[in-house]
Amino acid sequence: MITMDRVSLRYAKADPWALDEVDLDVRRGEFCFVVGESGSGKSSLLRMVILEQRPTRGRVLVAGHDLGELAPRRVHLLRRQIGTVFQDFRLLSGKTVHQNVAYVLQVLGAGRHEIRQRVPETLDLVGLQGKGKRLPHELSGGEQQRVAIARAMVNKPPILLADEPTGNLDPDTSEEIVAILDRINRAGTTVVMATHDTTIVDHFRKRVVQLQDGRVVRDQAEGGYRQVVAT
Amino acid sequence: MRPGFLLGEVGNGLRRNFSMFVSVVLVTMVSLFFLGVGLLAQAQVNTAKGEWYDRVQVSIFLCTPDSTDAPGCASGAVTAEQRDQIESDLQGLDPLVTEYFYESNAQAYERFTEQFRNSSALESVPQESIPASFRVNLSDPAKYDVIRAAFEQAPGVDSVEDQREVVDKLFAFLGALSWGALALAVAMVVCAVLLISTTIRLTAWTRRKETAIQRMVGASAFSIHLPFILETVVAALLGAALAVALLWATVRFGISGFLSELLAGESGLVSLVGERDLWLITPFLVGGAVLLAVVTAWTALRRHVRV
Repeated sequence: MITMDRVSLRYAKADPWALDEVDLDVRRGEFCFVVGESGSGKSSLLRMVILEQRPTRGRVLVAGHDLGELAPRRVHLLRRQIGTVFQDFRLLSGKTVHQNVAYVLQVLGAGRHEIRQRVPETLDLVGLQGKGKRLPHELSGGEQQRVAIARAMVNKPPILLADEPTGNLDPDTSEEIVAILDRINRAGTTVVMATHDTTIVDHFRKRVVQLQDGRVVRDQAEGGYRQVVAT
Repeated sequence: MRPGFLLGEVGNGLRRNFSMFVSVVLVTMVSLFFLGVGLLAQAQVNTAKGEWYDRVQVSIFLCTPDSTDAPGCASGAVTAEQRDQIESDLQGLDPLVTEYFYESNAQAYERFTEQFRNSSALESVPQESIPASFRVNLSDPAKYDVIRAAFEQAPGVDSVEDQREVVDKLFAFLGALSWGALALAVAMVVCAVLLISTTIRLTAWTRRKETAIQRMVGASAFSIHLPFILETVVAALLGAALAVALLWATVRFGISGFLSELLAGESGLVSLVGERDLWLITPFLVGGAVLLAVVTAWTALRRHVRV
């Protein structure tokens, strides 16, 4: 679903490599944690998947698109295949929960009937049934992140990217949020989540790709946050 | 993007940036008004030139008891013999002189009193100081010099005047007005372009969250830009409509009303621009405003809204 072939990135010639010869293959339906310290290249990696950033070298393939050959006017077609969730929720403060989620469908030209059907369905998926009329500031952080996940998923994209989605949340709420992502993944969506939340990674035991100074230093199935060296 | 949602977005945008919207409307209105005035003044010069040139005449003013400067007036006011001589000389100049008529001192005074009926100075002007004249039409108005050479020094002639000079002064004035208005229009159009760019920049900033979400979920560049462009076009159309209304009022009440009456009373020169001329330039004003709005907005969006 997402393939990176010897991908390197640097923002300016004088800068060190933000990503250095990264090889990665995330298959359809997989759940993958990308872990590493701040500045290790996690966000840069996710930004390349949604073509916010083009690699300096190497090849990226996402949902059948070779991003190196994707014309700028077709980038939006790639982004429709990818839901994105951020640490800071990025909700529209003047719109209700329902309106925030419906906004995506409206922007993409969906009809009223489709919106009436899909928005409550998606709010149910993230456990926000009955809260459609609330404004974001009336919700807890966890609930706001659920709205953000609903917004990312309402268009049923095959890929969900989450960049530190639990960064602003307490441990219990973080676990609830990742449980929702896990449920979405079990329904068939490929999930890639960048995090440095040790507890979460250790708890869910998914594939872990660890970055350090822009290099993949570990790619482990059902891994924990830190590599356990067999003795 | 569905039309209903799009209109909602445009409406929201206009509400959120209402003061900027109003300023774009007003600047567009003022720039198009000056552009319209410039174009109408040019149209005035073009439409009037032919007709006015045909109607203007050469006037041979005859001596009054007051005119002593001219060499032909050395013996005081024009005598009947001198007048007859001038008339027969005019007849001799056929075919250059196609037509002439004599305006007596009494007729000239009557016309003078009619023109200046509202002036308090009228009473101080005695009838004998208003000269009698021959009004001469030429087959070729450019050959005015022939008439001047023939009559300027003639006995009984005070002066020879080509009305075309008067009309040319009017045309020069209209030409200057036209270029002045066009120059102002250009300055105002520059203002409009800068203001639209700034407005787009500001609107893009106030709506950055929305546009970021639109980008993120895969809206095309066109659909992200469209509400911004439509808002600018609405402002430009409104500005254009106000400018046309203002020009219409100027033409209707200023030119067709006031100026036309004024000129008709004085010289019979009534070939003025009218509403028809305004309707002829209206599509260009409105089309120009829309084109300007679209091009400026699109350029500004490429700079200020990332897609």
